[in-house]
Amino acid sequence: MTTRTAGGSFRDPAGFVFTHEDTLYRHVTPQGEPFYRALMDSGLSPHLVERGLLIAHREVEVKTSPGAIAVLQPERVPFVSFPYEWCFSQLKAAALATLDIQAAAMEHGCSLRDASAYNIQFVGTRPLLIDTLSFEPLPQGRPWVAYRQFCQHFLAPLALMSLVDVRLAGLLPTHLDGLPLNLAARLLPGRSKLRGGLLLHLHQHARSQQRHAGTGASQDSTGGKFSQQALQGLIESLRKTVARLDVQPEGSTWVNYYAGDSYTEDALAHKERLVASVLDERQPKTVWDLGANMGRYARLAAERGATALAIEGDPVAVEAGWRHEADAPTGRMLHLVADLGNPSPALGWAHAERESLTQRGPADLVLALALVHHLAIAGNVPLGRVAAWFAELSREVLVEFVPKSDPKVEGLLASREDVFADYSPAGFESAFDAHFTRVDRFDIPGSDRALYHYRRGD
Amino acid sequence: MTTLLAYIDPGSGSFLFQATIGVALAAGMSIKVFWRRLRSRFSSERHDRS
Repeated sequence: MTTRTAGGSFRDPAGFVFTHEDTLYRHVTPQGEPFYRALMDSGLSPHLVERGLLIAHREVEVKTSPGAIAVLQPERVPFVSFPYEWCFSQLKAAALATLDIQAAAMEHGCSLRDASAYNIQFVGTRPLLIDTLSFEPLPQGRPWVAYRQFCQHFLAPLALMSLVDVRLAGLLPTHLDGLPLNLAARLLPGRSKLRGGLLLHLHQHARSQQRHAGTGASQDSTGGKFSQQALQGLIESLRKTVARLDVQPEGSTWVNYYAGDSYTEDALAHKERLVASVLDERQPKTVWDLGANMGRYARLAAERGATALAIEGDPVAVEAGWRHEADAPTGRMLHLVADLGNPSPALGWAHAERESLTQRGPADLVLALALVHHLAIAGNVPLGRVAAWFAELSREVLVEFVPKSDPKVEGLLASREDVFADYSPAGFESAFDAHFTRVDRFDIPGSDRALYHYRRGD
Repeated sequence: MTTLLAYIDPGSGSFLFQATIGVALAAGMSIKVFWRRLRSRFSSERHDRS
């Protein structure tokens, strides 16, 4: 019988999350009681749950949680992801959901007392708040306590991704409490000041932060005169500012994403059938498609009822995949940005607040299609290490080997010395045979490539 | 009413900044609500006539 407090659940004295015998619970402390009651007694909880904006929970009796005024058992999200793994549209959807939640809270006499992007999780493309203790009774005359956090967690990164480069989301892992506004203001182009919302909530806000740093201004020093209408105006203004931010696909890059593939249509269809047949036979509940591009194969898994992660290093491909999923939802796909040569590490206090990608596994099945040559040749990762990591991620993998004779590998080797003596079908098989038992090998007609189905023997 | 303690730092500058722009935000909201009401009155009158 094991009880474990969640590594990232210690900052708020109102409560904490823990697991007991693999079930997730939230302990509400006496300090958290007014916050929990505000949510439950105002009717806000059923309202938000019905709108799909708040995780549902039920109160339970758990003996291992002494001192709790309530123990909650929330529903679990299929996979916990972090803002630094989201594309622009995911972060924007999370921001707008946070503002929707705040607007609904105000209608019910409540207010969000934090606005952390880490409190939002995705079920398919639907963002929802997972922190049941994020509400307080609507304070009278006080500005929004979570304004700074909202601007740092959402507005600053969205503005940078929209107006400078989507790759600036890479700043998020080093700034877990959001981007400092003065940093965002320095990096943003001058034309960002022409947008009223950004001028106000980023540039002038940053200047005010610098001017008053360490002065200890509090509710008292604001005179207690911040009206409800001002708060409504603030939320409306933030919503308009966020809604105006967007990223534009460059030319036909997204639309023709698969056009540059060396596969013929027949070979692609054949590969799809092979993947589908393994999915049908094995019926995995969780599938991680590594190097997923827009998530073509992850979608096959999602259509068969699996929770499917489409993990891809190119944020443009993730953006395109996410938009496709939003247009034609399976409801079970999650597109995530991760550089597989440097996957999300464990972050935060004592490396325990945000789990690494590997820690959030294992998956029932890993798909690694047209990926290994990128890791082995573009990334110089020996095949043995590729196989070892895959074995950590899953007991079962469907992995494609693309030989040196393939135009894609020829392209990778065109500008460099071939120092990859072990990169051959025999080298591949020996690397993977050391960690897995081979179930099957399929040739892909119309190419020199092969698909291997491996399962761990233990 | 007892004051409930915030566990995050709202930031001195962020708090004062909101107080500074509060009047303008409230005025903006009032105008918006006024327009919404005016528009809905006109549209309902049009609807009644048709």
